[in-house]
Order: sequence, then structure tokens, then C-alpha cells
Amino acid sequence: KDWDDDVEEADINAVDDTDGVDPEAEYAAWKLRELKRIRRERAAIEEAEAERAEIERRRNLTAAERE
Amino acid sequence: MAKSEHYHKADAQALLDDRGYSGSLIRGENPALLFEKGVRERIIQSYYFKEQCFGLNAASLCDRAAELQFIGGTTGINGKPTSFLCLAFKLIQLVPSKEIILEYLNFMDDDEGYDSDAPKQEIQDPNALGKAGEFKYLRCLAAFYIRLAWDSVDVYKTLEPLLPDYRKIKRRTKDGFLLTSVDQFIDDLLTKNRVCATSLRKLRSRADLEDLGLLEPRESPLEDEIEEMDEDRDDGDVVMMEESDEESS
Amino acid sequence: KQHLMAIGQTGEVRVATVQEVRDRLRWIKRKRREAQKEEVIDLDARLENHRE
Repeated sequence: KDWDDDVEEADINAVDDTDGVDPEAEYAAWKLRELKRIRRERAAIEEAEAERAEIERRRNLTAAERE
Repeated sequence: MAKSEHYHKADAQALLDDRGYSGSLIRGENPALLFEKGVRERIIQSYYFKEQCFGLNAASLCDRAAELQFIGGTTGINGKPTSFLCLAFKLIQLVPSKEIILEYLNFMDDDEGYDSDAPKQEIQDPNALGKAGEFKYLRCLAAFYIRLAWDSVDVYKTLEPLLPDYRKIKRRTKDGFLLTSVDQFIDDLLTKNRVCATSLRKLRSRADLEDLGLLEPRESPLEDEIEEMDEDRDDGDVVMMEESDEESS
Repeated sequence: KQHLMAIGQTGEVRVATVQEVRDRLRWIKRKRREAQKEEVIDLDARLENHRE
């Protein structure tokens, strides 16, 4: 494979991508990543909600001022 | 449709013709522009692209994609494009139909007409649904393409279901290889600005699309568990790990 | 490549259908499985090593 001649066998073999070697550990590692994602998503939602609440608050203020 | 529309150019000449490109557009633009100029030039000059990608169509491309051993952008001081990136560029040139891309993404052999005496591996996997896509690197390639070429709603709808796919993949970096996973790669595609030496267009925010009624909130396979956890808050990762142990036993 | 065109190829490639893509992937998988079968004994040995 001359087009890939710069891949050092030692380098590519240093990393093993075989699945199912330790299924429980692989699942646990995923779970941790997934939980981090969920936390990140929730934080984003909370932030958006806070922003919305702030906009709402300001809108109410101007309405009150109009009276 | 005219018959001539069922043919691709075998090489990338037409794609890069300054005098005018007349092929399929992605978001109204020549799809080649999804790649940066320097990277594009190096892809076209690479041996892999010239020797291995010439004349491929969406079916014969599978041969190459099934051989992929890693994902990645460019490597070395010269920024040599990986085979992964070259194939992604080829896809950009072919602009395969949605059905074909989904086939790459979710291909599963239903064993039709094939009786195998090879032992069937029935791994009990809580996330089996996320793990269609027999060829994991082909799946990544399709995902990368989807992120580049499809619109935001379809990107979320198609890629998020892949987040439970925790199969291991190798990522080639500038000077070596790293171990990562399909879900991590998908997450990168959904959250990062730059993946595999390619700037990604900004996705519309999930929240906006939900507000417009174009997306349902994402539901993680861990949702139920999290709800339980929320009941006894203030607990960190340690408790989560313990719970997962209980479950898997 | 230029020489391919010179020897009579049109420089055009037929667009594949979904069915062709699916058949191709099945075929690759089958081929791979057959190759694996030949390696099965070797593979078992390696798995044994992993368990240690």
C-alpha cells in the first residue's frame, strides 16, 4: 500500500481499537461521557431559560412603566 | 431524468473547474468549498486520492471505506490528508442520495440468503440500537459527510441517535494515533467548530430548533437512570459508577 | 487518471443505487467473514491472551 506508506506499523498498532475486550469497562466509560453530555445539555437549557426569564422580566418592566 | 444525469465524473476536475461547476450543489454552493483550499489541494494531489479514489461511485467507495483503519484530518508537517479525509472529499464530489448515506451509516447484514457456520456473536448490549453500522469507520465517514452536507435539523436527527455507539476508533493526529470512540466523534461533530482539518458550519442551536417545533428534545438512553439520580442529588460520579455496576451484574 | 481515458474509458462513472451499495457492503462483509474463518484458530488464541 504505497499510498499509505508513511503509516508506521508500530504507531498504528500502539492503539488498539478492538471492541468487546472488556465490555463492562467500555460501557462504563461511555456512560461517563454520556452523563457529561447530558449535564452540558442541561446547563445549556438552564442558561437559555434564564435568558428568557430575563427578557420576560424586562418586558414586564416596560409595561409597568407605561402605566 | 435524462440518462446523462446518472453518471459522475471519474475525477475531481469538474468539481474544481474555475470556469464553472455544474454538478450537485450543497446549500446552493459548490460542495468542494466545504473543504479549505489548502486541504483541498493536498487531497487532490495525494496518491491516495489519485490512485484509490479515482472512478469510485457510491458502491465501490465502500471497498475503500471498509478498509479504513482510522479517522483523522491531516498528518505530519506537510499536512498530508488521511485516507479518511480523501474519502470524505470523494463523497462531497459524489453527493450520494440520503438513502445511500443512511445505508453507510446504518448498514446491518440481515443475513439474507447466507447461512453461516461462523459463530454468531450475540453480545448483550444495552445500547445495541445505537450500534447498527457494521463498519464503524464507514459509519464515521458518513457521519462526517452528514455534518458537512446536511441541514441542521437532519444533522441532529441523524447523528444524535449514534451517541450510544461506544465502539472504539483510532484517530490519526498530526504525529500519531489516539484512541477515541464513535460517540465521542459524533459529539465532536455536534459541538466543535473544527473536526478533521475541516471547519464546520455553525449548526443552528438545538434549543432554537426545538422552539420552532422542528426537533423533539433529545432523549438519552440513560434518561431513566438520571431521573432516579436526581432524586438523591448532590452525589457525584462515584455513585453513578456504582449504579452502573449493579446494573450490569 | 489521464491514461485511463486514453485507453478508452469515458471518464464517467455510473451513479450507484442504494441496492448496489447494500449488496456491496454485504459482499465485503461476507468476504471478511470468510477470511476470518481461516484465522479463527489464531483469533481464539489471541482472545485467550487478552483474558489473562
